[in-house]
Amino acid sequence: MNKEIGTEDLLRTKDMSLNKPQLPRKKKPVWASPWGYAEGWLFVAGLLITGLALQLVSGGLSAQTLSWPVNLYVGLVFTGLIVLSWTFFRKNSLVNWLARVPAAVTSIAMITFLVLIMGFTLQEDAGNPVWVQKLGLSNMTSSWPFLFGMMFFMASLGMATMKRLTPMKGRNIGFFLNHAGLYIAIMAGLLGAADLQRVTMDLHEGEVVWGSVDRQGHYMDMPFAVELERFNMEEFNPKIAVITTNDGRIVPESISDMFEIEKGHHGNLIGWKVEILEYHKMSGRIDGRFEPVVDYGAPPSALVRVTDSHGQQLEGWITSGSFMYPHQLLQIDREHSVAMTIPQASHYSSDVVIYTPAGDLIETRIEVNHPASVNGWRLYQYSYDDRFGKWSSTSVIEAIRDPWLPVVYLGIFMLIFGSVYLMTLGKAPEKEEEPASGQNSSERIGDEKEATLNDSPADNPKRVNEPEPELAGV
Amino acid sequence: MMPIDPTLFTIAAIVLWALGMLFFLIAGERKVIKFLAHGSYLAGILVLVVFTWMLWDMLGRPPMRTLGETRLWYAMFLPVVGYATYIRWDYKWILHYSGAMAILFLVINLIYPDNYDRDLMPALQSIWFVPHVIVYIFAYALLAAATIVAIKGLIIHYTGRMWSWNMQLADNLVYLGLGFLTLGLLFGALWGKEAWGHYWMWDPKETWAFLTWIGYLAYIHYRYHKPKQITTAMWVLAGAFIILLIAWFGVNYLPSAANSVHTYS
Ligand code: HEM
Repeated sequence: MNKEIGTEDLLRTKDMSLNKPQLPRKKKPVWASPWGYAEGWLFVAGLLITGLALQLVSGGLSAQTLSWPVNLYVGLVFTGLIVLSWTFFRKNSLVNWLARVPAAVTSIAMITFLVLIMGFTLQEDAGNPVWVQKLGLSNMTSSWPFLFGMMFFMASLGMATMKRLTPMKGRNIGFFLNHAGLYIAIMAGLLGAADLQRVTMDLHEGEVVWGSVDRQGHYMDMPFAVELERFNMEEFNPKIAVITTNDGRIVPESISDMFEIEKGHHGNLIGWKVEILEYHKMSGRIDGRFEPVVDYGAPPSALVRVTDSHGQQLEGWITSGSFMYPHQLLQIDREHSVAMTIPQASHYSSDVVIYTPAGDLIETRIEVNHPASVNGWRLYQYSYDDRFGKWSSTSVIEAIRDPWLPVVYLGIFMLIFGSVYLMTLGKAPEKEEEPASGQNSSERIGDEKEATLNDSPADNPKRVNEPEPELAGV
Repeated sequence: MMPIDPTLFTIAAIVLWALGMLFFLIAGERKVIKFLAHGSYLAGILVLVVFTWMLWDMLGRPPMRTLGETRLWYAMFLPVVGYATYIRWDYKWILHYSGAMAILFLVINLIYPDNYDRDLMPALQSIWFVPHVIVYIFAYALLAAATIVAIKGLIIHYTGRMWSWNMQLADNLVYLGLGFLTLGLLFGALWGKEAWGHYWMWDPKETWAFLTWIGYLAYIHYRYHKPKQITTAMWVLAGAFIILLIAWFGVNYLPSAANSVHTYS
């Protein structure tokens, strides 16, 4: 925020003496310098119409056309054009306008409009009407209107950054962190999308795997090999719930009453008192009872006691079953049973050995939220064979390469510092009693002056003298 | 099964805030009642802090998993923001609005009790989880307070009781709120890289988070440029908050969210 008060500010402040009758606003003809909001909206309309027309004629865009090194050149040329045009043509209507708020606000509005459409439309072709697909609305981020919107947005953002960068001033550091940071992060993210590689590797215990497949199913050799030593999974204890015996659905009213099974736990499930008398994490059925066993596919089981509202009691074993054994319910009335839910994974991970062509051998664990890195790739725990759950002997690893990531992170860290700067921008309103305006005296309404900020009026001296319509009528 | 009863704590907080607000209304210059007002309002916050802490301890995971749990944090932060605003700038009315909003959120939690017994899926088990959620909910609380300023201003404007409304308080709250919102967004991006492999995927939840962010961005730029066009600015602020609410609660119900990875219930 600009704290100095220039002569223009004084002008404006005087102009705001609110009781003074105001002259009606004189309209500036459209496309007369300096451009403002009207030109911005026309610009947006033009971009939207051109973009939609191109979309209809040529279909959408493909990120791959921009792959290395084309994306680097595009980024350099775009940024270079901004730097050059600000350096040499800053008096030009377009260049000057791009560096000011009306262009910023209208380009932000255009992006908001497009992303809003995206927010309401399922982003894939299946399930959308043909006209939505044809206009590219179901593939917004690779549509022409979106590309044009982004170019307008980035041109405005870049030009604003240039404007505050020249001449360089220490007090603009916060502005620079926010605006240049955002420019760098978005530019690198957009351009880098073409170089982003995401593939999956299906690992089976004891097999060395060099190959991967991408989302389209194309096979690719990897610059390293991975061998799965072991897939590990830990589970939460299962829950107990009331279900309808016929179709096995959890009774909705009982969802908030479901509780974790553990010896000694008890609770109320829609009117039935339920106690857990025994619990085995892995068990086998012996003469109608369950006993703890350690065996492939052995399911958890619990002995429960159910008491109904009349005090009648019922006891029995339940199990969620597993891929090898059936589940078992305890029927509590004609329609309902208590059942054990299938245990959910709390952690899962793959112990792997990674072999590189250089002959290195890396033993590591890949876990959700803890990827491993090798030769510019990051390896993520992706999935496993959920039919077998914790007995799965396969694990799927996703390998991702994103060479532009460091640039994106540079932008992100600039923005993190920039947002801290943003938090310091607030100022205390000047306290001033406003008599006779119908206000509660405990509400201190600050001086209007305080809200007046400097819109670099040097660019736009005329606007300073314009009254604001909602204040003019007073 | 729940060893602590959420209803009891929730009702205690509601009653304390309601009492605090009542005392603030009737206190006038009476010292004792003023003291009771502050005490009661703060005690309400304290009750929720204690409850949240106990809940965290009991669940063995941060209570930020479900919508009900995020409402709990919101109901805790909003009076904090309101009280701090009151202490800092002496706007008494904001205590009442933020108190009322917090009570509303707790009442929603009473009507739709949460299943606190939900497991924390592996993707959420990350050092980013707590900072990401806290920063977001705090931003939401600040921006809600800013919206309250705007709505009060709009009502005054359209009922013609007053011809000017100072937006400095709204601006201050938005600067703070947008700062936290940006942090939340960026923490989310950094976390996304660790958990899902990419920092931004235009998932519906992310799309709406972006819309919220850019809405407030439009507000600060418009304010900077046209500080006197207060009515338009207030409408922008109100609109941005609607987008915020969709991002928070509404996304799950949108057709576009059919295959969101943020299975947040
Ligand atoms: C992280 C996002 C952003 C933040 C936090 C931010 C913040 C700000 C702030 C606080 C100001 C007031 C000037 C100052 O305090 O020095 C400002 C001015 C401005 N911003 Fe942004 N902004 C952001 C993104 C953008 C974008 C995306 C654009 C363009 C599309 C833009 C264009 C401008 C322009 C043109 C000005 C006026 C500069 C001048 O006249 O000197 N900003 N911004």
